[in-house]
Amino acid sequence: MRSPSSLKKEFLTKWVVGLRAWSSSSKEMGLLERKKAIKLSADVAMAAATNGTTIWSHTLINNASKDPNSKHMVQSILTSARARDQSNEPSKFPLLSPPTRCARNRVRSKKVLRKARINYIQRCSRRSAASLIAKTLVKKRTQVLKGLVPGGECMDESCLIKETLDYMISLRAQVLIMQHIAKVMELFNSK
Amino acid sequence: MKPIGGIEVRSMNYSHKNVDIGVQAYQLGEEFQMLMAGPPPTGNSFTALLELPANQAMELLHSPGAADSPTELPLKRHHNMSHRSARNHPHDCAPAFPSNAALNEGATKYSGISTAAAFGGGGQDSPESSSSANAMKVKSEPMDSGSSPNSLPHTSNPTVASKNEKHTKRKEREKGKATNKKNKTAANDNSKEGERLPYVHVRARRGQATNSHSLAERARREKINARMKLLQELVPGCSKISGTALVLDEIINHVHSLQRKVEFLSMRLAAVNPRIDFNLDSLFTAGNGSVLESNFPSMVMPLMWPDIQMLGNEQECQQQWHLGSVNQPVWTRQEGHQNLIISENSLLSYDSPANSVSLHSSQQKMEI
Repeated sequence: MRSPSSLKKEFLTKWVVGLRAWSSSSKEMGLLERKKAIKLSADVAMAAATNGTTIWSHTLINNASKDPNSKHMVQSILTSARARDQSNEPSKFPLLSPPTRCARNRVRSKKVLRKARINYIQRCSRRSAASLIAKTLVKKRTQVLKGLVPGGECMDESCLIKETLDYMISLRAQVLIMQHIAKVMELFNSK
Repeated sequence: MKPIGGIEVRSMNYSHKNVDIGVQAYQLGEEFQMLMAGPPPTGNSFTALLELPANQAMELLHSPGAADSPTELPLKRHHNMSHRSARNHPHDCAPAFPSNAALNEGATKYSGISTAAAFGGGGQDSPESSSSANAMKVKSEPMDSGSSPNSLPHTSNPTVASKNEKHTKRKEREKGKATNKKNKTAANDNSKEGERLPYVHVRARRGQATNSHSLAERARREKINARMKLLQELVPGCSKISGTALVLDEIINHVHSLQRKVEFLSMRLAAVNPRIDFNLDSLFTAGNGSVLESNFPSMVMPLMWPDIQMLGNEQECQQQWHLGSVNQPVWTRQEGHQNLIISENSLLSYDSPANSVSLHSSQQKMEI
C-alpha cells in the first residue's frame, strides 16, 4: 500500500527524466509534437510509478516502447528507476510482449457464452425482460470502459473494475501534478 | 429442533467462545434489529429466510450456554452435514478475509450442494446472519469504515491457508466486516473470534439453477458488486446513484474527463515553453537547491491563494532562477533527484486534502 504522495513523487521524477530524454534527440519539435511527447512521457512515467502489478501500466509501457520515437525515452525512465532502487524492484516492467492470446480466447469464449446464455434464458423464462435490458446496457458500458482503460480488452469484468480503480487513482495524481507544474510554468514565464 | 451430529461437533468446538461472544452479540442485537426493520433492498429470498432466524437467534442468545447455532433452525433442511462437519474447526480471523483466489477456489468447490447459510460458533453468528439479511446494505457501509481495521488482520495473516479458508465465501467475509465495524470498540481478539466462521453456505434462490456454475457465477457477481461499490465511493457524486448502468456511466465520464484533462494540460505545458524540458531544467537547477526549498513554497502559495504580498518573494525567486539558468544545468543526476524530491515535497504539501485522503483510502481498499 503506497501513500499517495510517494506515488506523486515517483511520477514527477520519472516524468522529468522522460522529458529530459526528449531533449537529447536534438530536433525541433512543433507544438503538437511537443504536446504528444509531454503526454506520452507523463503516461509512461505514471505507469512506471505504479507497483507494476496492474495490466494497464504494462500495456501503456509496452505500447510506448513499440514506437521507435519514444523507445529511448521509455528506456531511460525504466533504467533510471532500476538504477535508483536496485535492491527493491529489479524489473517491474520487463518489456514483454502484450497479451495477444486474449483476443482469441475472447472469440472462443463468446461461443460458449452464447450457448450458456441460451440455456440460461430457456431455464429462467419467467425472468422479466427488464433484467435482460439492464444486462445489455451494462454490457455496452463495459465495452466502452474497456476502450477507455488501456489494455482493457483483455480483461474480464471483475479485473476490469479493479484496473479502472487503479487507473483512476493514477490519473488523478497525474492531473494534479501536471496542473501544479503548468501553473508554476505559466507564472514563471509571465514574469 | 434437534441438532444433527455434525452440528453438535461444531458447536462443541465453539462453545467455549460463546460466553464472550454472547455478550457482544446481545449488544449488537439491538443494532441489527434496527437494521432488519428496513426492507431488504434486493428483495432476496435469502434475506427473507434469514430474517426469521435472527429473531429466534436473539431469544436463544439470552439463554445461557446457547451452544447451538441459532440460525440452524429454519435453514437446515437440505444440507449435507457430513462433509461440512469435517471441515469445521476453529481458526483465527484470517479466513474471514480470504484472498480473491481463495474465494474463487471456494466457489468452485461447492459443487452440487444446495445449502443453507450455516454459521458455526454461537452467538456471534446470528447478528452476522441477520446482517447478511441486509447483504447489500450492510456490505456497503463497512466497506470504507471497516476497511482500515480489516486491513490489519488481513495483512497480519496472509499465509494462513487452512482448508476452511478455501471454503469461505465472500458473504462471510463481509458479514465479518459488518461485525467488525460494530465491534470497533471491542478488542481485536473478540472480533477475531467472532469471525472464526468456517464458511458460508449459500442457498440458491428460488427459480435459480443450483449447479456449480450458477453458484460460482453468483460468487463472481458478488465480487464484482463489491468492487463497484469501491468505485462508486471514489467517483464523486456516484454514491447516490443506484443501478449498475448509471454508475458505470459516471465512471466512464470521470475517466474520460481525467484523460481529457491530461491532454489539455500537456497542450498547455507544450505551449508555455518552446523547449520541451526548458522549464524544468531552470526550475531545478543545481546551485539553488537550498534556495528552492524556501522559495518553492512561496512560489506555489501564490498559485493556490493569490496574494499580493507574495510578489516580493517572487521577485527574489526570479533573480535566483535567472542566476541558475545562466549557470546552465550542469548538475548530476543525483543532485537533480535531491532537488526534485525537495521541491516535490513542497509541491505535494499543497495538494487538496480531500484528494489525498480519498487517494489514500482507495489505495487501502485496493488491498482488499
